[in-house]
Amino acid sequence: MADMKVAAYICQGCGLGDRLDTKALAGVAKKEGKAAIVKEHEFLCNADGVKMIRDDIANEGVTHVMVGACSRRAKTEAFGFTDVCVSRANLREGVIWSQPETDEAQETTQEMAEDYIRMGCAEVKKMTLPAGDPAAVTERTLLVVGGGVSGMTAALEASRAGYQVVLVEKSGALGGWAAKLHKRTPGKSPYADPQETPVAAMVAAIEGDANIKVYLNAVTSKISGAPGRFEAEISTESGATTTEKAGGIVQATGFNLYDANNLPELGYGKSANVVDQAGLEALAKAAGGGAIKRPSDGGEVKRVVFVQCAGQRDDSGKHLPYCSGSCCLTSVKQAMYFKDANPDIDTVVIYQDLRMPGQGEDFYRSGQTKGVTFTKGKVSGVEAAGNQCKVSFQDLILNDQAQIDDADLVVLATGQVPVSGVDIDSKLKAEIAAAAGDNSLMEAYNASQQEGAVKPVSILNLTYRQGPDMPQLKYGFTDSHFICFPYETRRTGIYAAGPVRRPMDMAQAVEDATGATMKAIQAIENAGIGRAAHPRSGDLSYPIFRKEGCTQCKRCTVECPFGAIDEDEQRFPQFNQARCRRCGTCMGACPVRVISFENYSVETVGSQLKAVDVPDEFSEKPRILVLACENDAYPALDMAAMNRNVYSAFVRVIPVRCLGSVNTIWINDALSNGYDGVMMMGCKHGDDYQCHFVKGSELANIRMSKIGDTLKNMSLEEERVSTFEVAITDIERVPQLINDYAALIQKIGMSPMKGF
Amino acid sequence: MTEVIATNQTILVVGGGISGMTAALEAAECGKNVVLVEKNSALGGRVSQLYRYFPKLCHPICGLEINQRRLKQNPRIRVLTMAEVTAIAGGEGDYTATVKLAPRFVNENCTACGECSKAVDSEVPDAFNYNLGKVKAAYLPNKMAYPQRYVIDPSIVGTPEGEKAKAACKYGAVDLDMQEETVQLKAGAVIWATGWKPYDAAKIQPYGYDRFSNVITSVEFERLADIHGPTKGKILRPSDGKEAKNIAFIQCAGSRDENHLRHCSRICCMASLKQTNYVREAYGDEGKSTIYYIDIRAIDRFEDFYAKVWNDPNVTFIKSKVAKAVQDEKTGDVVLHGVNTEGYHRYATPHDLVVLAVGMEPSVKGADLPAQIVSDSSGFIEADPANHAFFGAGCASSPLDVNRAVQSATASALRAIQVVNRVARVED
Amino acid sequence: MSENYRNNFLREVEEKVEEGHWVKMCMQCGVCAGSCPFGPHWAHPPQEIFMMIRAGKREEVLSSDSMWMCTSCYQCIVRCPRKLPITHIMHGLANYAYRLGLSPKKQPTQQFASMFWNNLAQAGRVNELKLSLGMYFKDGFAQGIKNAMAMQSVGLGMVKAKRLNPMELFAPHGVKDKSGFHAMLKKAREIEDRRKNLA
Repeated sequence: MADMKVAAYICQGCGLGDRLDTKALAGVAKKEGKAAIVKEHEFLCNADGVKMIRDDIANEGVTHVMVGACSRRAKTEAFGFTDVCVSRANLREGVIWSQPETDEAQETTQEMAEDYIRMGCAEVKKMTLPAGDPAAVTERTLLVVGGGVSGMTAALEASRAGYQVVLVEKSGALGGWAAKLHKRTPGKSPYADPQETPVAAMVAAIEGDANIKVYLNAVTSKISGAPGRFEAEISTESGATTTEKAGGIVQATGFNLYDANNLPELGYGKSANVVDQAGLEALAKAAGGGAIKRPSDGGEVKRVVFVQCAGQRDDSGKHLPYCSGSCCLTSVKQAMYFKDANPDIDTVVIYQDLRMPGQGEDFYRSGQTKGVTFTKGKVSGVEAAGNQCKVSFQDLILNDQAQIDDADLVVLATGQVPVSGVDIDSKLKAEIAAAAGDNSLMEAYNASQQEGAVKPVSILNLTYRQGPDMPQLKYGFTDSHFICFPYETRRTGIYAAGPVRRPMDMAQAVEDATGATMKAIQAIENAGIGRAAHPRSGDLSYPIFRKEGCTQCKRCTVECPFGAIDEDEQRFPQFNQARCRRCGTCMGACPVRVISFENYSVETVGSQLKAVDVPDEFSEKPRILVLACENDAYPALDMAAMNRNVYSAFVRVIPVRCLGSVNTIWINDALSNGYDGVMMMGCKHGDDYQCHFVKGSELANIRMSKIGDTLKNMSLEEERVSTFEVAITDIERVPQLINDYAALIQKIGMSPMKGF
Repeated sequence: MTEVIATNQTILVVGGGISGMTAALEAAECGKNVVLVEKNSALGGRVSQLYRYFPKLCHPICGLEINQRRLKQNPRIRVLTMAEVTAIAGGEGDYTATVKLAPRFVNENCTACGECSKAVDSEVPDAFNYNLGKVKAAYLPNKMAYPQRYVIDPSIVGTPEGEKAKAACKYGAVDLDMQEETVQLKAGAVIWATGWKPYDAAKIQPYGYDRFSNVITSVEFERLADIHGPTKGKILRPSDGKEAKNIAFIQCAGSRDENHLRHCSRICCMASLKQTNYVREAYGDEGKSTIYYIDIRAIDRFEDFYAKVWNDPNVTFIKSKVAKAVQDEKTGDVVLHGVNTEGYHRYATPHDLVVLAVGMEPSVKGADLPAQIVSDSSGFIEADPANHAFFGAGCASSPLDVNRAVQSATASALRAIQVVNRVARVED
Repeated sequence: MSENYRNNFLREVEEKVEEGHWVKMCMQCGVCAGSCPFGPHWAHPPQEIFMMIRAGKREEVLSSDSMWMCTSCYQCIVRCPRKLPITHIMHGLANYAYRLGLSPKKQPTQQFASMFWNNLAQAGRVNELKLSLGMYFKDGFAQGIKNAMAMQSVGLGMVKAKRLNPMELFAPHGVKDKSGFHAMLKKAREIEDRRKNLA
């Protein structure tokens, strides 16, 4: 590596020159920051200022640049040098915009700025320019698990983009749920009639596509590796096993209908004339466009009743609590099977809320035009009566207890249950629920562990240390929890598509599968150049691990939110760079500090907090360290400053990638260096977590709850370390939190640890 | 002159809201070159004007921050703001787009220091806050604005006010001589992600949006609840600034209606359910919400959210399309008239504030697109082979919630990549 | 066999009631019910009547006095999100019920309508004096006198203004070709009956 040459540039623009003694700042950079080159500029971000820095890089051999100007979030085009390490001292938002413009405040404002210069110089010196992963490889093949419409879409779309595809289907034919359908709901204008399913056309396209290799009657019995270099063992029913390489994976394993046998009160199993939606499709297929016959005796069907939300939207705890989002459309379509064949057949849809969003409204209207009738009601029971059924329901409009006593067919809309494999967090979820007083999950978990209990079968059979399948959300769906980032699950390079991730209809599944394929292809490309995926996309750094110091405590492997770390044969952690999202949670977890990133490490932060000038006990100038999540808390502080929301001059803010990356050594160092308090600001955790790395803020919270002992050993008050949940909109609350905390510190007094 | 380097392997993304940003980022992070064109002066689109998302109740600008960071560090995306695509010629793999760039009167020297804004006195309606307030005629579009650069309103250009702004800028960033420009750029594929606009509530005459100050739209209500909004996050009603504690939400305001929008706008039920949380957040048990609805369309796992609001004793559900609203000019209260159809109960109920859950219509309807494009009866772009390499994304293609819009945008990125990859294979 | 929720009555309405084929399109939003200025007087507002039709409640619907409340203000039509011609359907239902003899007796709107029709059909012109007297005396002689006394000044005023001719009571005038007029009405009725399968 070339010799390090640090240059510090201090901007005088945006009022920095008026509010601060920039000459003194330059002196600090020179003397304490040990910068070889220190320059002030009246307008650093303009073309001239940037050229000055560029020239120094080119002519003076500058390798490390410290920019003392605005927030790292501002002027990124100007200061986004990619060939040198860059740190930013936030003098504008972090100092002059968040401090009052008064004579009394002048001294502390200047002190604040000087500290940020010290911190910026200290940080940049500990950084090295990420060179990228030399071992990065990629395989431009997509593995698709599941051969329904979602899986087939993924395969065809990937092929169209020029990628190879391996498609694995557990049954003997492609098509999945769609292959069972007589017709599908319309996916485009005019949304009036049932349409042919796309299955035949898709199967033909796949068969004629040289890029796509199909395995039928096959499962993925083992998947190891990481994005760019997955290896999948594919086992067929015949017992043969083949190994295929892939760069990315789409899991499109679909759903099963909720088992209508759980609904004897709705007559299922008691009368052959009560069917679920699959049963009706089978009848329609068998009729082949002719009249659908009554199952019990082959008699003529004159009246059909559709019962919506059968075993769905259930608040009794017995059935599915959610809505499957597609059954209203399906029931209207199925009613049309009858109406289109013979308008004299009565078809009644009994619904609570008719949920046909978007252009589904057109389909609803079309159903009405064809004479399908709709009744808002709640069905309480279906009983068999000879070859007919009695349907009892509460008519919610007429406020009547009503009965239809001569239905020839009753169709139950039972909803979708995802085929998502093993819930790898089931024990953890049960523990959390039990802690909250709900033992049902724990009982279910214990029952599942009994000998002889039917164990869920894994789908992906990942060799990941954290478990064989994708982590599941509520109700077993493998969706991501993010609204803005629906594909960002906790397994990099593996994307769920279709009803396995959320209940949906076919049109949505096609769109979803196309999106998931996009992400998988992107993962394939990123893996090849060792580049991080969302949310730190483009980051070329990766965790570097010093094996000698490792004590094999396994915290990193357990805590990594993305399951990126396995164990090798000697039980040392084995990092899979391409699975890593660069949050630094492993670094935060490591008690012996052997994990670091080239541009972010225990040192880059540790050196900053140590660089701060801590006044003595009698100065009445406490120092409070703020470790702020760069995703939400730090932008909130910036925007608070833009609003000129003033906060205490005693804080020194260091942005961190995620609170999960906070290593307790930083807290220890801060306290033993005489800081009076440490505030940690991270994202909301819990069910509706907002942490961009899913578990980071939660883990930090758990770690900090255990820091009490450390504080006791140092004879310090508990309040000296506090964790806060902060949202990006907290532009008034964050300054308030800081000021309240500063007041609290004032009350409990200065730290006795100063000057050691 | 603005220079834009683009070839027929470039993907043109029109619209810089969450869908357009997503499409641009996903394609660029896959190694493709993208030009992102946005009509407004900052990216972010309609989601940047939302206070919270359903069902997590998290903040949209949180995701926006991530997307902006992805954008800032990605050299493959060229962003053009205040730019509109006026024509698209050519075909798949070989489009030429004509882009009109409106003058911002502020160049890239701007540091967002805000001195120009301090210097001018004139004010203009604050478009970011749906004109509920005013901003200085030299303004930063919003606190999260990207590019983080001020705008001089054309109304003060050529006036002493404009000169004041110019004089206040030490960095030569105010350029009052900037002219409108037209540039042409090549593209292999076009992703059209111009999003949606709220249906013009004034057209729903019985609800009196154009006559009653305390009848507002759901998008305006978002601004009232937001700390960056005109009331700094306080839910105050427009007529007298009184705390609005008893709020009505009227569903299907424009949607599912042959007189207005024929389609269901999908998001409005969830949006109103979400907004009842704003009322609770602001006023606790004193805050009362009433939702007047036809069907509550809380589909799939959103049902959980609905169930939670349903069980909130401070929220009342009435199955009814409200017949009319009348504002009592003395009290400012708005009385809603109609019939609860579950069992036939007539009501005439006063509320402090009425929020119309306005429907979504495409910002640019099919017929107004600058190319011959197949669209449905509401003007949403359809997936049709006749559209060649012109792909609708997000709410330009269907009324979608944010999650689904992002899915759609991600899918559209792949479709565009398929085209430019084909072009590349031919050219290489 | 129960008629509950069978579509038989719905089909009957579709075939035989003016604009009856629209009934199935209602989505039960209730904006018609809330918009009607006579709303509070309806036992069953239009949206509920549509639901009752779908539920097969034939007797209840046809004997209801609700549809007779409609004053043709058209508020419901203007606001209906499904563009149902509700006013016309209401009149159609009323007319159909009347023909079947199921409409409520002594329903004032219906009484007035019958009187108006009979009055008009006789001579091809409305005899306003006879019509008003008929209305005054419809509830008996004593009530008729009371009504007439109450309206006395209006009547005299109209006579003075030559808007009312007392002689019409004795020598009503009508259209020129009365028999032609009656033939025309007969023909129209035949056509309508055929159209609605009422013959």
